[in-house]
Amino acid sequence: MTSTTVAPAQAPSQPPSKAGPKAPSPARRRWRSIRLGWSFILPNFLGFATLTLIPVLASLALSFLDWDSYSTPKWVGLANVDRMIHNETFWTALRNTAYYALGHVPLTLCAALGFAVLLNQKLRGVSFFRTALFFPYITSLVAVAVVWNMLLSPDVGPVNQLLRAIGIDHPPGWTTSTTWAMPAVILASVWRDLGYYMILYLAGLQTIPGELYEAAQVDGASAWQRFWSITVPSLRPTTFFVLIMLTISSFKVFDLIQVMTEGGPGRSTLVLSQVIFREGITQGRFGYSSAVSMVLFVIVLTITLVQFRLQRRSER
Amino acid sequence: MKRRPLSTVVSTLAATAAALALLTACGGGSSDSQAAGGKTTVKLALWNYATTPEFKALIDGFEKANPDIHVEPVDILSDDYNEKLTTMLAGGDSTDILTMKNVIGYAQYANRGQLLPLTDEASKLDPAKQSGLDAYKIEDKYFALPYRQDFWVLYYNKTLLKQAGVPESKLENLTWSDYAALAKSLTKGDGGSKVYGAYQHTWRSVVQATAAAQSGGDLLGGDYGFFKDQYQMTLDLQKAGALLPWATASTQKVTYNSMFSTGKAALMPMGTWYAATLLADTKSGKTKVDWGVAPLPQRQADGKVTTFGSPTAFAVNKNSKHADAAKKFVAWAASEEGATTIAKAGVTPSLQSQTILDTYFALPGVPQDAVAKKAFKPDQVVLEMPVTDKTADVDTILTEEHELIMTGEKSLDAGLAEMSKRVKNEVG
Repeated sequence: MTSTTVAPAQAPSQPPSKAGPKAPSPARRRWRSIRLGWSFILPNFLGFATLTLIPVLASLALSFLDWDSYSTPKWVGLANVDRMIHNETFWTALRNTAYYALGHVPLTLCAALGFAVLLNQKLRGVSFFRTALFFPYITSLVAVAVVWNMLLSPDVGPVNQLLRAIGIDHPPGWTTSTTWAMPAVILASVWRDLGYYMILYLAGLQTIPGELYEAAQVDGASAWQRFWSITVPSLRPTTFFVLIMLTISSFKVFDLIQVMTEGGPGRSTLVLSQVIFREGITQGRFGYSSAVSMVLFVIVLTITLVQFRLQRRSER
Repeated sequence: MKRRPLSTVVSTLAATAAALALLTACGGGSSDSQAAGGKTTVKLALWNYATTPEFKALIDGFEKANPDIHVEPVDILSDDYNEKLTTMLAGGDSTDILTMKNVIGYAQYANRGQLLPLTDEASKLDPAKQSGLDAYKIEDKYFALPYRQDFWVLYYNKTLLKQAGVPESKLENLTWSDYAALAKSLTKGDGGSKVYGAYQHTWRSVVQATAAAQSGGDLLGGDYGFFKDQYQMTLDLQKAGALLPWATASTQKVTYNSMFSTGKAALMPMGTWYAATLLADTKSGKTKVDWGVAPLPQRQADGKVTTFGSPTAFAVNKNSKHADAAKKFVAWAASEEGATTIAKAGVTPSLQSQTILDTYFALPGVPQDAVAKKAFKPDQVVLEMPVTDKTADVDTILTEEHELIMTGEKSLDAGLAEMSKRVKNEVG
């Protein structure tokens, strides 16, 4: 920011002559633009470095230590990893996280795309429906979780009352059943997230030229064919972005589950982020907690890299 | 590297410094606590200041006795108290007095060496009268002094009992099977107007700590057969419809106060802290429930009352810059003067004597009958959860399996077996 004003002073004040000997050499000019670029990035990078990069590196180091946040850390090598491998709760949490992601990612993606296509029509009141679908995303998460808990309450909740009314005698116990707790949480999170991704898809849909559809219509393509052959391929960049954001947020899920079930009943909805929170903040085992968070980091990083590679291959 | 003009370097450095200064400014905080007039200011970490009256009573009482010390509350949300305190202390915070909300948290802070030893102050207390003092002993040292001791009693709705024709004196010597029979007979109505015979909150302690205290079982032992009777009774009441189902209470986030103070439950085992809420709510007109207190039901009707409870204590931060003033406060809160102040706020103090009990019963609104007087003088108060370095892990496992048993996801026997197995395998 500051060097931008300084830079001209360094350059000769007269307009650069065409092939004069005083003109800055290409190498020097490149160095200058690099420096200029760095100075633009610097303010943001400083914040990123102090608030994200250094803590991440510290966490990597911590995962080889035994530290309670106060006393002198002790080097324990791979003891934290060893403990993790032999800890049943860690594997349960890992399985649950994968289960959640496998449910949450495809369902949210399909629902967001479906609603975006529906609400891309020129209809009366379309903006009302768009707002209505976006609403859950900006609503307080705690309120969302409390309301879903009430809706899904096994005996007195409206969802089960409705199910009983249409003839299902033994509706699921939702958040009080080990089998149904995870589907219940996924349902609530799809409902919450779909509005945001729908907006992304709506923006993507605006960029598809109308001529393509007209040409296809002239050629006699059905609506379904138009969707598969024009809409879906044209939305590939958006889908890629949505997929990555969804995957990352699924693996990092914490707040909704913490408020809705606290990982229960038993450990049926316990996810990795909760293990990290419990071990670190509640129990004060920051070394072990960092080791678990490194596992989470590696998983998310790997999946993202694989997605990037697949995307690049499909672009070729 | 090519030569850089000095001005560029300087301005870049200046910008960096400014950014860093901004970042650190938020974290710094001044330690200027020496107020005008030579008064020493000590900070006290506590929770929900507005709704927990004994804190203000203690601060006011102490300041009156020590005019040269000013106590400044640091208010923290109750639910996040221990997490917040952990984070504060990890950051080198110098808040002088720390309230130890529970014994598990205390053991963590003390074992990390974050608290100043108070062994001298503790030796001045009478262990026979200072209930809960033992819980703070770590290798012959004390790092906190208890100022209040809560224990579990049975609250009952006098109106509902009268309607059913049950004499209150019956509650003076109740066994758990009497309690179950009474709860079933007091249940009436249906749907929205249903009145449950009893309400047992979702906490695992309602079942597990009761069983441990009264049967002498060890909550950390890894063998949980002694839970069986208590669970059997609770599940049976739930099945009979005399208890609000655990699953409903949990998903609806039902508060015990709303169940009892609106007359939706006739009997409720709960800690003595609830009496302070009832006293305050009755005074402000928030509730009209006519309530009484009875001793916690027992396994056998031999007239002896064994219950469980947990003390609350004050400790002094190792980083405190006014340790002497802070210690003075901690000792005062545990003393007779402090205990009287707390009793006047409707809370059961750690120091127990007839005078203090009389002070408590002299409060307007406190039930005066013989049943209540017996309830407030239990023969034995067992610590809710023994404290070792395993406590927190065992607590997590017992809570998880409690949920599975109470929702019926696991049979009682399978749940108890799983508890024992997990505690033996996972907590080493």
